[in-house]
Amino acid sequence: MTTAAWICLLSPLAAALVITLAGTRISRRMAGRLATLSTFVSFGAAVWAFVLMLGRAGDDRREVSTAWTWLTAGELRFDLSILVDPLSVFMMLVISGVGSLIVGYSIGYMDGDDEERRYFAYMALFVFSMLLLVQSANFLLLLAGWGLVGLASYLLIGFNQQRPSAVAAAKKAFIMNAIGDATIALALFLLIWEVGSLSLDFTSGGEGVPLDGTVATLVALGLLGGAVAKSAQIPLHTWLPDAMEGPTPVSALIHAATMVTAGVYMLVRLSPVFEAAPEVQDLAAGLGALTLVVAGLIALVQTDIKRVIAYSTMSQIGYMFLGAGLAAYGNAMFHLMTHAFFKALLFLGAGIVIHALAGEQDMRRMGGLRARLPRTYLAMLVGGLALAGMPPLSGFFSKDSILASALAAGTYGQVLFAAGLLGVFLTGLYTFRMLFIVFGGKASTHVQEHLHVPRRSEPALWMALTVGSLAVLSVIGGWLQIAGVWHPLSDFLHTAAEPKVEPSVTQDWVTAAISVSLGLAGIALAWWFYGARRTKVPEATAIRRALEHKLYFDEAYDALFYRPAAAVAREFGRWIERPLIGGSVSAAAAGARGLGGRVRLAQTGLLRNYALALAGGLAVLTVVFLSLSS
Amino acid sequence: MMGPEVNAYLIVAAFLFATGAAGVLLRRSPLVVLLSLEIMLNGANLALIAFSRRFGELDGQVFALAVMAVAASEVVVGLGLIVAIARRRLDLDVDKLSTLRG
Amino acid sequence: MGNFIVWVVWVVAAFACLASALAVITFTNPFFSALALIGNLASLAVLYLMLSAEFVAAAQVLIYAGAVMVMFLFVIAYLGRQGDAPWAGGPSWQSLAAVGAAGVLFIEIVVALGLKAGGRLSDEAAIDVFFGSPHEIGRLFLTDHLLAFEITSIVLLVAAVGGVILGSHARSGQPVDSAPLEVQEGRSR
Repeated sequence: MTTAAWICLLSPLAAALVITLAGTRISRRMAGRLATLSTFVSFGAAVWAFVLMLGRAGDDRREVSTAWTWLTAGELRFDLSILVDPLSVFMMLVISGVGSLIVGYSIGYMDGDDEERRYFAYMALFVFSMLLLVQSANFLLLLAGWGLVGLASYLLIGFNQQRPSAVAAAKKAFIMNAIGDATIALALFLLIWEVGSLSLDFTSGGEGVPLDGTVATLVALGLLGGAVAKSAQIPLHTWLPDAMEGPTPVSALIHAATMVTAGVYMLVRLSPVFEAAPEVQDLAAGLGALTLVVAGLIALVQTDIKRVIAYSTMSQIGYMFLGAGLAAYGNAMFHLMTHAFFKALLFLGAGIVIHALAGEQDMRRMGGLRARLPRTYLAMLVGGLALAGMPPLSGFFSKDSILASALAAGTYGQVLFAAGLLGVFLTGLYTFRMLFIVFGGKASTHVQEHLHVPRRSEPALWMALTVGSLAVLSVIGGWLQIAGVWHPLSDFLHTAAEPKVEPSVTQDWVTAAISVSLGLAGIALAWWFYGARRTKVPEATAIRRALEHKLYFDEAYDALFYRPAAAVAREFGRWIERPLIGGSVSAAAAGARGLGGRVRLAQTGLLRNYALALAGGLAVLTVVFLSLSS
Repeated sequence: MMGPEVNAYLIVAAFLFATGAAGVLLRRSPLVVLLSLEIMLNGANLALIAFSRRFGELDGQVFALAVMAVAASEVVVGLGLIVAIARRRLDLDVDKLSTLRG
Repeated sequence: MGNFIVWVVWVVAAFACLASALAVITFTNPFFSALALIGNLASLAVLYLMLSAEFVAAAQVLIYAGAVMVMFLFVIAYLGRQGDAPWAGGPSWQSLAAVGAAGVLFIEIVVALGLKAGGRLSDEAAIDVFFGSPHEIGRLFLTDHLLAFEITSIVLLVAAVGGVILGSHARSGQPVDSAPLEVQEGRSR
């Protein structure tokens, strides 16, 4: 089992290294094929590990494999070891599966770009880092994977290095993630202090965590900070919309399917820690619910097609946080998987649209694409319906399982349930707003001029096949867990993370009925405004302006954090750096120069002076030697 | 044969050395500087021979012969330099030949 | 009686030595300085004889006075009269310092001799008749001091080559009396 896990982990790393070292010796498309092959190999290894695991009994499904001891410090020991248990195998399947489809799609999307090799090397690096994150058996390695994923995200967001907006977005993403990294590190320091070890042994269930009280709360808070940053939840969410500057497959893989779900993975994997600090867990659920609603509202006024999907991602991850925060781990992971399918599908479909319109991303310039890109429309429709939670598509099953768990989780849970229902309505509304604007109505002038349907070719084939596969998965993916009927997924994950809430059958059915109706209501409203009727959208200028400015979070952060820091740096530069530090260096240089200038005067060039110096020196030395030897 | 002690020869040698040094430091013509240098070398030679006689070892005389050979070589090169300088119509004055000034 | 003659010869030779040395450094005309040096060399040869260094004395006269000084005189003749007024303008600080340094050196050596040697330099070792003969010196050169012998021959070779190069005409065909190098005015300080 662990052999398979190692192959799964190292295959993309090997591809990244080969592509980097081969440089221009391999063609650009070969780089793409290499990267795709490596991720497919990774997926194959994950499937193999999964099959092997199924052959074992429930409590025997956990294995740790150590490569070597990474570092020792006093009594602390950190190994390079990977953990293979149901949760990590589940994540491996999702990451490598969806990852290989997206990397394959990139062969088509990035075709013709000059820097394709760099792109595929970075993508392979990312897949490796994400796998490292989910396979690590101790906190330190997890943090290493965490940081590497952030690095890969930075590299890929800023992939178009010539665009200042892309570079700025990459920096923003990295810095906000770094804040999360810092809180995790602080939590780890506390852990080392209190417990003396960073291994994830307690995740085998049943043993609990040797933490309680304030320490547990602080540790959990630190970990939550990192999760919030990585998963773009409020308050550390402002980087995700900007991250859309990266190429579309990057947005699909990193900012929809995998990296942003790392926070959810952390909440589930480290659930014993959070259960030892229940206030923090409730906080996580609350933040999830808040983000869910706010992101849904902001998505209503976005004009960039990718930004709509980005805010949708933020909202759906809010659902996952909600589920994990209420200890419904299996359901949260289920939604993670289905969300990966339909969100990646939506992004990749949007990528086809953007490609066909020569890079145009503004929805106001689109329209009437249903007739011109019929298969893409069908795929996006499937994705949109899945996102809105319409049966029998996957999103219905997974989202409703979370909502039902909320309903079953006491008063607090019921408040969050209400928020979740509002989110369902908003999801239907903004998703179909996007679909109707882009695909419905008449073709705009921009479309008529610039539409270019790709011909049959290898790149186009890659794009079509991968999108098609994701559409199929979005349809059938939800059938893995039908509430009240069968739940193999929850059972599988049970040993790794035991959920603490189980909704009753009644609650499941009630939730299903309400959420489907709300979703349909949202779709109907979207049709009313943006569909065939095209009624004018109500003005509500103040609210609209606030939403368009993303509730002024960016401006607030700028005023609260950036400006003071910049001012402090400027004053330091003026009063300390330049006069003191720069001055001391200049003074040393001036001193050396002055001294040299004085000493230079002894070089008269006159033979007699030099000879006199010799004779005088000889005289003095003779006296010295005589007196010393007597 | 009896004669003055070795001490006396050594004082003569010391005087020669000091005189040669004074000549090197005082004179401006490179020719005379070279001649003064020769005096210094001869002073050293005399000291070597005197010590050789005192201890009955011939090593001092051997050393003195080597010194003579080296002095001869040095004179060759020095005179070559002086002739080259004179050919370029420069003043033969060590105070004026100071292009190595820093 | 024999001892007395030895002493007289010694005094005369020593005095001639010192006087000629002073003459070398004080004469204005370099030609006369060279002649004074020849006298110095000759008196030194006498002193060597008194120290039983027969071979060295002969070599001194033959090589030093015979070859080296002749070369010197050739060059002085070639260069013509060099107007050199070393004692004009009164003593400068350089000359005072020079005389001072030389004097100090002399006194130091004498003091060193007096202090360190004590009475040990008064004796003379017993020697046989072959002391200082070419036979003995040759034996030493070819056994104990072979390396010095060989290296000295290399030094002589290098000097000969150097002399030829320095004395040759410029190879690029420029006439020898091309414009002189820029000369810095130096004051002796």
